[in-house]
Amino acid sequence: MKAQNRRNAALAALVIGAALIAIGYVVGLPPVVFVGALFTAGCAALLQGEHRSLTIVAGMLTATALLPVIVLIQPFSTFSSQNLWIDGFSIAGIFVLLALGLNIVVGLSGLLDLGYAAFYAIGSYTFAFAASSFTGLDFPFWPMLIAGAISAAVFGILLGAPTLRLRGDYLAIVTLGFGEIVPIVILNSSKYTLGPNGIGGISRPEIFGFEFPIQNPWPFYLAMVGIVTITMILIYRLQDSRLGRAWMAIREDELAAASSGVNTVTTKLLAFALGASTAGLAGVFAASKLSVVTPNLFRFDVSFTVLAMVVLGGMGNIWGVAIGAFVLYTIQSVILKQLNQFFAAADVPFLSSIDFIEYQFLLYGIALVAMMLLRPEGLFPSIRRKRELHVDDAGEGPTTTADAMGAAPQ
Amino acid sequence: MSSVATSAPAAPSANPILALRRAGPFFFVLALAALVYALIGPQQFANALTIGAIYALIALGYTMVYGIIALINFAHGEIFMVGAFVSLFFLGEQLGQTGPVRDLPVLLVLVIAAFLVTMVVVGLLGVLIERFAYRPLRNAPRLAPLITAIGISFILQNVVQIIYGPSPVNTPQIIAPTERFGLLGASIGYVNLFVLAAAVVLMVLLQLFVNRTRLGRAMRSTAQDREAAQLMGVDINRTIAATFFIGSALAGAAGVVYGLYFGNISFVIGFQAGLKAFTAAVLGGIGNITGAALGGFIIGFVEVTAAATGYFVWAQALVFTTLILVLVFRPAGLLGQQLGERA
Amino acid sequence: MELRKLAALAVGTMVLAAACQAGAPGSPSAGASGAAKGTLKIGVTLPLSGGARADGAPALRGVELAVAEANEAGGVGGYNLELSVLDHAVNGKYNEQQGAKDMQTLVGDTSVIGAVGPYNSAVAKVQIPISNDAGLLQCSPANTNEGLTKPDFGALDYRKNFPDRINYVRVATTDDIQGPAMSAYAYNDLGLRNILVVDDVTTFGTGVADNFQKEFERLGGTTADRIGANADTTDFVPIITAAKEKNPDGVYYGGVVPSGGGLLLKQMAQQGLDVPFLGPDGIKNGSGEDEGALIQIAGSDESKNSYATVAAIGDFPAKAEFDGRFTEHFKDESDFKTPGAYSGPAYACATIILEALEKAAAGAADMAALREAVRANVTAGTAFETVLGSVTFDENGDTSQLIISFYKVDPALKNGKGDWVFIEQQDFGGAVGGAEGSPEASGEAGGSPEASGS
Repeated sequence: MKAQNRRNAALAALVIGAALIAIGYVVGLPPVVFVGALFTAGCAALLQGEHRSLTIVAGMLTATALLPVIVLIQPFSTFSSQNLWIDGFSIAGIFVLLALGLNIVVGLSGLLDLGYAAFYAIGSYTFAFAASSFTGLDFPFWPMLIAGAISAAVFGILLGAPTLRLRGDYLAIVTLGFGEIVPIVILNSSKYTLGPNGIGGISRPEIFGFEFPIQNPWPFYLAMVGIVTITMILIYRLQDSRLGRAWMAIREDELAAASSGVNTVTTKLLAFALGASTAGLAGVFAASKLSVVTPNLFRFDVSFTVLAMVVLGGMGNIWGVAIGAFVLYTIQSVILKQLNQFFAAADVPFLSSIDFIEYQFLLYGIALVAMMLLRPEGLFPSIRRKRELHVDDAGEGPTTTADAMGAAPQ
Repeated sequence: MSSVATSAPAAPSANPILALRRAGPFFFVLALAALVYALIGPQQFANALTIGAIYALIALGYTMVYGIIALINFAHGEIFMVGAFVSLFFLGEQLGQTGPVRDLPVLLVLVIAAFLVTMVVVGLLGVLIERFAYRPLRNAPRLAPLITAIGISFILQNVVQIIYGPSPVNTPQIIAPTERFGLLGASIGYVNLFVLAAAVVLMVLLQLFVNRTRLGRAMRSTAQDREAAQLMGVDINRTIAATFFIGSALAGAAGVVYGLYFGNISFVIGFQAGLKAFTAAVLGGIGNITGAALGGFIIGFVEVTAAATGYFVWAQALVFTTLILVLVFRPAGLLGQQLGERA
Repeated sequence: MELRKLAALAVGTMVLAAACQAGAPGSPSAGASGAAKGTLKIGVTLPLSGGARADGAPALRGVELAVAEANEAGGVGGYNLELSVLDHAVNGKYNEQQGAKDMQTLVGDTSVIGAVGPYNSAVAKVQIPISNDAGLLQCSPANTNEGLTKPDFGALDYRKNFPDRINYVRVATTDDIQGPAMSAYAYNDLGLRNILVVDDVTTFGTGVADNFQKEFERLGGTTADRIGANADTTDFVPIITAAKEKNPDGVYYGGVVPSGGGLLLKQMAQQGLDVPFLGPDGIKNGSGEDEGALIQIAGSDESKNSYATVAAIGDFPAKAEFDGRFTEHFKDESDFKTPGAYSGPAYACATIILEALEKAAAGAADMAALREAVRANVTAGTAFETVLGSVTFDENGDTSQLIISFYKVDPALKNGKGDWVFIEQQDFGGAVGGAEGSPEASGEAGGSPEASGS
């Protein structure tokens, strides 16, 4: 098929699909939504590799339309009602954003950040200061999304500027330390942060004077879908830009990258700042959704959960990471919880005594080790990353392979 | 990559400037100790030395592993925690100890047995982890074993939690914690003295081992240049395994003394202690054994000084701030070689 | 260009359609069961797994007992009752995000007419905005933070949308009573004058320690030192050493045992700081036989000088009888077979919801009206006859029973492993609580594992 024809077909599929989805929702006919989603999915497939941004839009449209319908089907419908699934999806979206941001740092640039939750906290508190009764301010949500992202990025630069010169694994420790310091500082600066009490009564987003309701999860869901879509498009564009190629060059061999004219410090700093700003974005959204922020929400387990999401999803692959985060969050928050209740209710001898949530981090641990040993490229690898991680299989070279952590070969 | 696994500070050197440079950090630590002593008094100073000794023992394992394969062994803090539980299992559950043992010979036998059993078990655990989780990734990108290490630490934590439950568990304090003696106007617990002595003895033994034995020499040469060492006939796998054994065994010893000193352990003690011990290793110059020991004591000083001056809630933040500042301004640490800023 | 415009149009249509959908929330499914008298649910939102299970499970048992008894008696107002139990502990600790999600679950289920929980004040802060918006009655057996209900302490932040529609009530009294009660006890009864105050830097711990300290100083006592010790502290030795120089004659720990209360007491004994150890309900978490209990961690002899307040009535008239029914009902369970400190209050919460339902059941046209009638009944100043005695709620949803119970450790109990014994209870609210509220009630051995509250 010629490119022009394919493009037209894709376009038609998108329009028909969106129309069908719209009709399906208005009339309340899930099958129509399904057919519509098929069209948009077809559009995404047709444009794959050719028109990235539109592929993302079509792909996200498919997912957005399908998810609420899928949860009406067995067995998903037994877990909880549609509204609750939707509510869960918007929280899952927070983790998708976090994973996308961390992926810039870990996946694309090969810098290990173990204190990523700190930037999430900074974004959250930025909005808490800007729109709560604690400060008496009430800035609107949408511009604050950007402000939260910027303030997180500023902290990212402040932390990164002096430390990014270090070897990669030192960076891991510095960020881990930073991730510990931020909640401690928030906790113990009661005068400015209300300390352990946290800041409550944070405003909800508003659109044309319509405030997002507490009980109807749809506005948050749609807003989240919008934010994730835009973020993904931006990250894809970045990845394909000169900067993105510089990131990957640094990841693969920093010394070589530096000698071919890449300014490694600035490049890494940008990765760090952009990763942080995505976390800030997620933080603003989370603060507004939960209406309360407390330091307890940003402990190291958040950083490690997001890291597990990125690793399992496939470092470097934007779709992989997004899907990994989404699936992991859903499993952890809905299915593990329900498994407990299900087995407890059914009184299955052995299984009912197991607390699946209790073993969450054990499962993460096993998954991380198994993943690194067996499939380091993740469940949904990016092609480039896969090639790089399996370099040993290709040719049994000397031990001095390219080092993703950016350390020079010995 | 750091090139020296150990430095012999007292070694006579033809170059007086070099000798001075080597001695410099020791003067720094001594001066710091004097300052801290003046600030917080003998009683708190004893507390700082005790907790510092525990950090130092854990830090040794970090520094040895980093020195030899340039891996931050994230699971090391958890190995320390496992050590504390192995010691509880041996002393408490197998030997049925619950409280102080007043009979000195019996006490001595018990303590030494606890050290030996724990150190061997935990050392083997370290070897096992290296064999199955790190060795297959030795030539992989550096990110890979780091992530495996995080995974291993989750696994160790959760396995202990499953066995012993989420609540803290009491350990037998076979050295009576309330028995004290007077020194310089302070009243020091015998258990404090014991912790410090045990740590110092183990460190001296380690120095002797690394400097005087064949295996120790193999370790140093592997740390310096793995390929050259291999060419010279050093069995790299065996040497790395031995390093893991010794490093983990020392963390196990730290677990034993932790249990004896505090009398209570839980599955979460490894994370914080590991982080602080890592800070100690970096502070001293990662890869440098003497440095790690000094670093441990410095962390003890920082923590206790914060507590003694009314900034207890900031103690942790202060330790991590120290870490960041050291990494930024002197990434090689106190005793490490100044490296080029290779990223 | 063309392509993008059309794509934008397509997405726009989609969003619009979804927004239309959003305008009409899914209520039709609910109407079906409204008329026919069927089964109603009581929500339970507590931390129920991992280390936090010890906090939530005794309260859950209380609710289970109340509902089982109501069903045996033929239901309430023609309805059968069942529980919708949700656990918001993640990795063994309470989690606000999960708490919010669980409250969404409960308000979204139209057959839920009331909820019992949460246990931690921090979780209440995220749940109240949601339950308030939905008008769902929520009764906490254990929350004591004054900021949840009292407008002077910022409670209106949590009921922004309907500040006058009180839907959150609690049967435990608040920390601005619990803290000062111990101050007076320490100053007058124990004769302490110079106290070291340590808190665990949590919403609950810092709050109750502030309240204690303020009142203790007002009475004329001095604070030897005020120290925050983050919840993961294991080494208290340096702060004990520092405090010893100031010669405190007592230590108040504002916090819970998992934050380090037990370790503090243990290390105090080791360092030779042998003074009374005081605390709120957070330190009274079971006997020396219970894993993770203060007495078990510190040792029975080391904790012999420990005193704790509980922000609820400890010696209620029906206690022995309630304990008997409880133990009988749960004798086949694998854990938490005997009542904890918050089993009775949780049972009372369930009773209150059921009594309100009884009154509301006749008049309500549909589920939404029933839910609202239940809520309105509870906050209309009605008196409820509960196992704790007669309870009414004030204009903020706080209980009329301003009773603080005092407990002390008896190291000889439980075969020398030690347990808490009830000393007395004091009524800070006048006579509403009934005769049992008299300041000097008789001592009684409360030999049961009991959970800490916050």
